[in-house]
Amino acid sequence: MAYSDKVIEHYENPKNVGTLDKNDNNVGTGLVGAPACGDVMRLQIKVSDDGVIEDARFKTFGCGSAIASSSLATEWIKGKTVDEAATIKNSQIAEELNLPPVKIHCSVLAEDAIKSAVEDYKKKRAARQALGAAEPAVATEESRAQ
Amino acid sequence: MAALEARHRELSRALHPDRHAGKTPAERRHALGKAIEVNDAFRQLKNPLARASALLASLGHAPVDGQEAKPPAELLMDMMEQREALAEVRQSRDAKALDALTASIEARRDATLSALAAVFAEPGTLSAPRAAELMGELRYYARFLEEAGAIADEL
Repeated sequence: MAYSDKVIEHYENPKNVGTLDKNDNNVGTGLVGAPACGDVMRLQIKVSDDGVIEDARFKTFGCGSAIASSSLATEWIKGKTVDEAATIKNSQIAEELNLPPVKIHCSVLAEDAIKSAVEDYKKKRAARQALGAAEPAVATEESRAQ
Repeated sequence: MAALEARHRELSRALHPDRHAGKTPAERRHALGKAIEVNDAFRQLKNPLARASALLASLGHAPVDGQEAKPPAELLMDMMEQREALAEVRQSRDAKALDALTASIEARRDATLSALAAVFAEPGTLSAPRAAELMGELRYYARFLEEAGAIADEL
C-alpha cells in the first residue's frame, strides 16, 4: 500500500518530535496505544497561563501513518487554546493526510492523544487550584497518581 | 505442533502439482487453489498470535474493528520506556544492551504466551476479554522484537 505524499513528508521530516517535562504544571501528557497493531503514541502540550498551547511535542513508535498523524496534530494544536485543540476530529487529520481506510485508526489515535493530553493538563490545573498555588509540588504528585 | 507439521506435509504432498500433471486444467487449478489454502492455514496456525485470533473467532469472539479495548496505561508507559531504551541502543550501537533488552522482552512474551495458553486451556470458562488483553500485550512485544531484530541486523 502506498503512502500519500503528505504522510511521507511528515514521516521523513516529523515536526515537534521530543519530550516536555511531564512534571511541569503547565505540561499535559497524553499516552495512547492501538492494541491491534502494537503502536504507542505520546503527545505533550505546554500551556500558557491564559490557556493557549505554546508548545507541543510527540513521540510515536508505530507505522508511518501513526507518526504522520501525531506530527500533524502537534502542528495544528500549537497556538490554539486547549478547548479548541480538543475539538480536532480524527476525520480532519485523515482527510489532510489522505489516509486509506485501513489507516484511519492512526488518526483516531492522534485525536485520542490530543484529548488525553488536554485532560491531563486540566486535571493538573484543577488539582493545583484545589490545593492552592502554595504547594505546587504536592499538586504535581496528586495529578500524576490519577 | 508435530501433528500440525505432519498433516501439512501430507496435504502438501497430495496437492503437489507433480501429482496432478496428467489431470485436466480445471482439476490442476483446483489442486493449486487448495494447496494455497493449506499453506495459508498452516502459516496462521504456526504463529501463536494468529492461532489465538483464529481460535477466538471460531468460538464466536471475533474482534470488532475499531472497538478493541484500550491497552492498560501501565503497559503503554512501560512499552514507551522500552522503545525509548531501544532507540538509545540504536544510537549507541551497544550490542550487549540490545541483547539484554531483547532477552527481557522475550521472557515477558513467553510468560504472556503461557498465560494465554492457560486461558485457552479451559474453553468452557474462556474469558474473551482476558484473551484479547493478553494478545494485545503480545502484539506490543512482537513489535518491539521486530524492531530489535532490525537493529541487530544493522549493528
